[in-house]
Amino acid sequence: MNTGHEKLLCEDCHVPADGNLRQQFQANIQFLLGNRKQYSPVGFRSVSSRDCQQCHDRPTDKHPVSRFLEPRFSKARAKISPHQCMSCHKEHQGKRVTTVSQDYCSNCHQKLKLRKEKIDVHHVDLIKQKRWQTCLGCHDYHGNHRMKLKKRLKDIVNEQVIHEYFNGGNDPYSRNKIHKVKEITPNG
Amino acid sequence: MDKPKNIFTMLIFIMLIVYLFVTAPAPLQTDLAGRKVETKKVLEIINAINSQVRNLYTKNIVGAGKKSGLRFNEDWQEEDVFAGPLPAQFLRETSRSLEKNNVQLGLYLGSDYPINTANLFSGKQRDFFKQLKTTGEPKFFYVEDIERYGYMFADKAIAKPCVSCHNKHDDSPKKDWRIDDIMGATTWTYPDEFITLEIALELISALRSSVNNAYAAYIDKIKQFKNPPALSSRWPKEGFYLPSVAHFMEEVDRRIAVETMQSLLLVASHEEKVKTSSGE
Repeated sequence: MNTGHEKLLCEDCHVPADGNLRQQFQANIQFLLGNRKQYSPVGFRSVSSRDCQQCHDRPTDKHPVSRFLEPRFSKARAKISPHQCMSCHKEHQGKRVTTVSQDYCSNCHQKLKLRKEKIDVHHVDLIKQKRWQTCLGCHDYHGNHRMKLKKRLKDIVNEQVIHEYFNGGNDPYSRNKIHKVKEITPNG
Repeated sequence: MDKPKNIFTMLIFIMLIVYLFVTAPAPLQTDLAGRKVETKKVLEIINAINSQVRNLYTKNIVGAGKKSGLRFNEDWQEEDVFAGPLPAQFLRETSRSLEKNNVQLGLYLGSDYPINTANLFSGKQRDFFKQLKTTGEPKFFYVEDIERYGYMFADKAIAKPCVSCHNKHDDSPKKDWRIDDIMGATTWTYPDEFITLEIALELISALRSSVNNAYAAYIDKIKQFKNPPALSSRWPKEGFYLPSVAHFMEEVDRRIAVETMQSLLLVASHEEKVKTSSGE
């Protein structure tokens, strides 16, 4: 299981699909005949971002998956699928973040200009130099850590440390989270 | 020699047909059941409701509230900011709540001159917005990759606070907005081109519930204020007050009820005519 999911049970995420097996087969025959618009999952329904949000719903999420269903994010969707949790958090990998690249901010923030720069190397220059891997040195993607922003580029979290964090290592940002994850009870 | 084999195959085939079609248990609820109406028409009703809410929040909460000493800020959710959501953030909060609902109705706000560059239109949406700005007419389109229909409506500067705030804001790329200008657009998305009347009602209900949640989130936030406004039936125009969630929603309902009912009846009766004329 991925980092933090060690105590989860299979059935916490893998929920039986609607109906019995026969109904599911019949529904899919109707789907093939064009009498039904949606395919019916057989056995278990697929796990979606909505399931993740049962525990990870954060009102202050800086990049909620729903935001990326807006039509204009089609290019970003084609490249990194930010509208699905599992694009970066593929389960059963024993990691925290399964995407390897740290430069995904480039898909949406090319035109970023800040009114007040608070770091010695300005964002606009970092973008010009295509140093996209530095973004995560100060900003956690979902914005769920309470932390002070660095004023000097040399003080930001190192790329390798973030890589280790992705792989399940220590949290380099802060232990102080804004929203805590909802614990699943034995009754769901 | 082959005869028993053929009979056996035939038997299996018949059993399969019976299993899949004949002695069927109750079928799973089909998504095509029920009377259908154009989603486009329903989204027009939904947008009209949202416009009423936006109007109410912008003028009666933000506009009047600023004069009464209430504060509003785009970073209202930050822990060290003690303010309420501006109209754009109120819509974002409504959208967030809507997305958590199971109805698959998407709501987004954007512009060609946004204060926050994250709201800048691009691609198809930018092209449609250009046309919308010229004609003022909403644009209905299909988004292939997410297989959803999109419906874009003009978002006009309806009140002085819209214009003055956008013209004064340091991050605003345009400083000469005037009342009634098309400042941006509200885009709705939904997966189906036709929906049942029952689902239409579900969508309307989901929007109403999301508006309720958005305002409730603001009311939750004021609990952190050192000097919170009094919550009652009174509105900011009467002083340092905010209506309770129930009173806010009461006013929302009062404003949307008649128009929504009339529009729904029109959509339903139009659907009847379509059925009659096509001889179904």
